[in-house]
Amino acid sequence: MRKVLFYIPLLAFLGLSLFLLSGLFSDPRERDSAIIGKPLPQFALPDLMSPEQIWTPENLKGEAYLLNVWGIWCPTCNAELGYMSQLRNEQGVRIIGLYYVLPEDPMFGEVFDLAKLQADVQSRLQAFGDPYQFNILDRQRRLSLDLGVSGAPEHFIVDADGIVRAHHIGDINPQVWRSKLAPIYQQWAAKP
Amino acid sequence: MIRLVMVLCLLAAAQLHASTSQELLQFESEQQRRLYAQLTAELRCPQCQNQNIADSNAVVAVDMREKTHELVIQGYSRQQVLDFMIDRYGNFVHYQPPVNSITIWLWLLPVLVLVSLLLFQLRRRALQRNMQGAEQPSEEAAPASQQQAALDQQLDQIIERYRSTKP
Repeated sequence: MRKVLFYIPLLAFLGLSLFLLSGLFSDPRERDSAIIGKPLPQFALPDLMSPEQIWTPENLKGEAYLLNVWGIWCPTCNAELGYMSQLRNEQGVRIIGLYYVLPEDPMFGEVFDLAKLQADVQSRLQAFGDPYQFNILDRQRRLSLDLGVSGAPEHFIVDADGIVRAHHIGDINPQVWRSKLAPIYQQWAAKP
Repeated sequence: MIRLVMVLCLLAAAQLHASTSQELLQFESEQQRRLYAQLTAELRCPQCQNQNIADSNAVVAVDMREKTHELVIQGYSRQQVLDFMIDRYGNFVHYQPPVNSITIWLWLLPVLVLVSLLLFQLRRRALQRNMQGAEQPSEEAAPASQQQAALDQQLDQIIERYRSTKP
């Protein structure tokens, strides 16, 4: 009995050390997503390039896809365009863009100009690669708020029935795709 | 005179500028204003993670403030607004997470440590008292008195010898 008691401080110390050590390798910015397993929230938003086309959760159904929240103002989003284009061309991944518009500041005379935005997006996609089937324009960022988006880039994997299956905060690179997203995407893309 | 008018004009313009640049929100009642202030202080910005949404100017915090304002105007209660945000951003977004199977340890662990330390200390006290109670009469007190008696005897002998050698 006394021997066991004698080792308790040592064991407590080792346990605490292991706990703190694991903290060194964890990502403090990682947080649980609240939307996984739920259907896409309701929305009716225009296409970025042809605004008369309205997208809703219903007309996106039918095939699993990767929903990418992005904007040309975001350098990381631009950097991943090349690799995502590769995913589209080589693996046939269906990628849909959710264009995240930054709020305009009227104090600086900023106004929303759709024609200019379309031209800017087009030239950016020509320069870096175009992974998107199409882009949904989320001007008020209402859908982004409902999805729990905290910034760009963020990615969701949505299955053929419109249920969100994965939520990835940050960019997609070969390592992230292979280890984290590809298994989930392939699992849901394979389903008829 | 013209200078004075110009200065006044400038001051008026600055005043106007200051008042328009502030975020002036309309509420229907003082109660709603207070609820909004309370909510923006206890909701946490998911982007700049150690600020509340009242403090942060990240796009998502601005959007969440707007949404909070909208919901408060619509007559949502504090809990309803919190549920709305937690539904989207998880428990992370509230500065007071709920007690569940993981967070319960934050409350239990300090109490457990305190109780075990108290028990340990009480046990030690009891052990020490037992030892003192056992030792004093048997081992220390008795030899001390015996030694004292022996020394007294020796002293008496020395005094006696000294006396006897005196003329």
